[in-house]
Amino acid sequence: VLLLGAIIISDLPLLWITIESLKPDVEIIHYPPDILPIAPSLKNFSDLFFYEPFGRFMLNSTIIASVSTALVVILGTAAAYSFVRFNFIFLRGLGEASLFAYMIPSILLLVPIARLALSAHLENQSIALIAIYTARLLPFALWTLRSYFQGISIELEQAAMVDGCTRFGAFVRVVVPQAIPGMIATAVFTFNAAWSEYLFSSTLMTSPMAMTVSPGIVMLSSGSGLIHWGVQMAASVLITLPVLVLFIIGQSQLVETWGEGAVKG
Amino acid sequence: MSAVRHPSPFRRRGLNDRQLALVLVLPTAVILVTLQLYPFLLALHDSFFETDIYTGEQTLNWLTNYTTVLTAPGTRDAFVRSMVFIVGCMVIQTISGLVIALLLNAGLRGQTLARGLTFFPYMVPAIVAALAFRISFNEIYGIVDYVLLQVKAITHPISFLTDTHTVMFTIIVVTSWKFIPFMTIALLARLQTLPRDMVEAAKVDGAGRFRSFWYITLPWLAPVLLVAMLLRTIWSATEFDTPFLVAFGGPLEASTLVPIRIRTLYLQELEVGQACALAISIALLMAIASFFYLRAYHRVEAQAG
Repeated sequence: VLLLGAIIISDLPLLWITIESLKPDVEIIHYPPDILPIAPSLKNFSDLFFYEPFGRFMLNSTIIASVSTALVVILGTAAAYSFVRFNFIFLRGLGEASLFAYMIPSILLLVPIARLALSAHLENQSIALIAIYTARLLPFALWTLRSYFQGISIELEQAAMVDGCTRFGAFVRVVVPQAIPGMIATAVFTFNAAWSEYLFSSTLMTSPMAMTVSPGIVMLSSGSGLIHWGVQMAASVLITLPVLVLFIIGQSQLVETWGEGAVKG
Repeated sequence: MSAVRHPSPFRRRGLNDRQLALVLVLPTAVILVTLQLYPFLLALHDSFFETDIYTGEQTLNWLTNYTTVLTAPGTRDAFVRSMVFIVGCMVIQTISGLVIALLLNAGLRGQTLARGLTFFPYMVPAIVAALAFRISFNEIYGIVDYVLLQVKAITHPISFLTDTHTVMFTIIVVTSWKFIPFMTIALLARLQTLPRDMVEAAKVDGAGRFRSFWYITLPWLAPVLLVAMLLRTIWSATEFDTPFLVAFGGPLEASTLVPIRIRTLYLQELEVGQACALAISIALLMAIASFFYLRAYHRVEAQAG
């Protein structure tokens, strides 16, 4: 029963916005509130694309989050592998640096990064956010993938090298396929973080054409002065859907990898 | 680090290990140095300078930014609010995370589904969490006030978002809702490694559920609990998105936490130096907090073995 309570508290707010997204604004602000919509419609969703540049926000977020994710996973995998398999002094230095970077809070870097981006005329450029997200999320990827590689035995790799593979060839053909579950967990985490980030995005991307989803939704509410709840609810449902799909795909992997990552610190 | 170098006879062509390692980590190293380390040093540098935001001119003013920003009444209020926020989040998240982790580990039916359903809020975008609670907690047509009035728990609607006294409660609830799963995940992973025979032995010795939790489960969880609490402290202290998107720092700055204050100093008051000084100050405080947590961690771990 307690567990049922926990589930209800966890998911009821999400169920509620889904219901609200189907109601016209007059029903949403009607008092006393009705639980189910009297005249359910998808008008809020179509309004979102007809009257607002929401499609543009979705596209921006998709591009930025996908490119950052690809970079983080590829670079993170290569570097984490080196951390585990090689022992050179510069690797140890970089390992410490990545732990340090992991502990630096975003808010501390906001001002210097915003100033750097402005002086390089990168405001409203997707490349700026891609670079920031890649840098911010790489340390997490390094930690997760590193503990993943530690669990992969070196023997298969050595066998491949005996059979004539170069070390790099063995890495690509033998090690990477084994690491795929860890890479998926990292990718889901990275995509999710980049997809909905607000702090850097709202500071650097101020033109509506360049905005990502989170600042975009905030603009929907503040633009006209009137609160169009229905449209905001529809937008919320739409930006949660991709995350939900990713979560369902990667669930079991995610929980294990994150759990371990959190435990090992 | 388990460093295993394969014997050189296996290597026939291509790069040697050292070159390969360099190639594999070079992009990561460049990114971390230019986009993490360098901006960090820049923040440190800027915190000692007075910056003219239009000309970019900087004049050294040593600790003036720190004394100005740390003695400003706005900053002191923000610190107090952040403390309330950190402690509130910590209490709610630790207790709820612990309870949910224990429930998920109790071997009930539908475990996998329940796990997914309770973990999902962690993935929900901050803006969605904020909007879901903003509409439910609305004082005029919100469902929460309506239900509370119907069951006669309250006589007047509570202004969760527009009252300067209750808004802190609201941002703590929303932020906790989103981050409880982090606690649950970490604790559950540790619970699943709890040796069965320890629990059995306690049962044989006649220990009740509560005693066995207190003397066996809790000490087993303690190291992970401390690390998770440390991370949550740091992240609550520096979390921007969720509390900001719930109440935008208002009403009348009543929910302006330190991170929100930093952004305002920079974007609205154009005080680059003070914004950096404040950011460096909380980073220092977090470093001190980490030190104490880690000391406790080593002590607990030595006991737990």
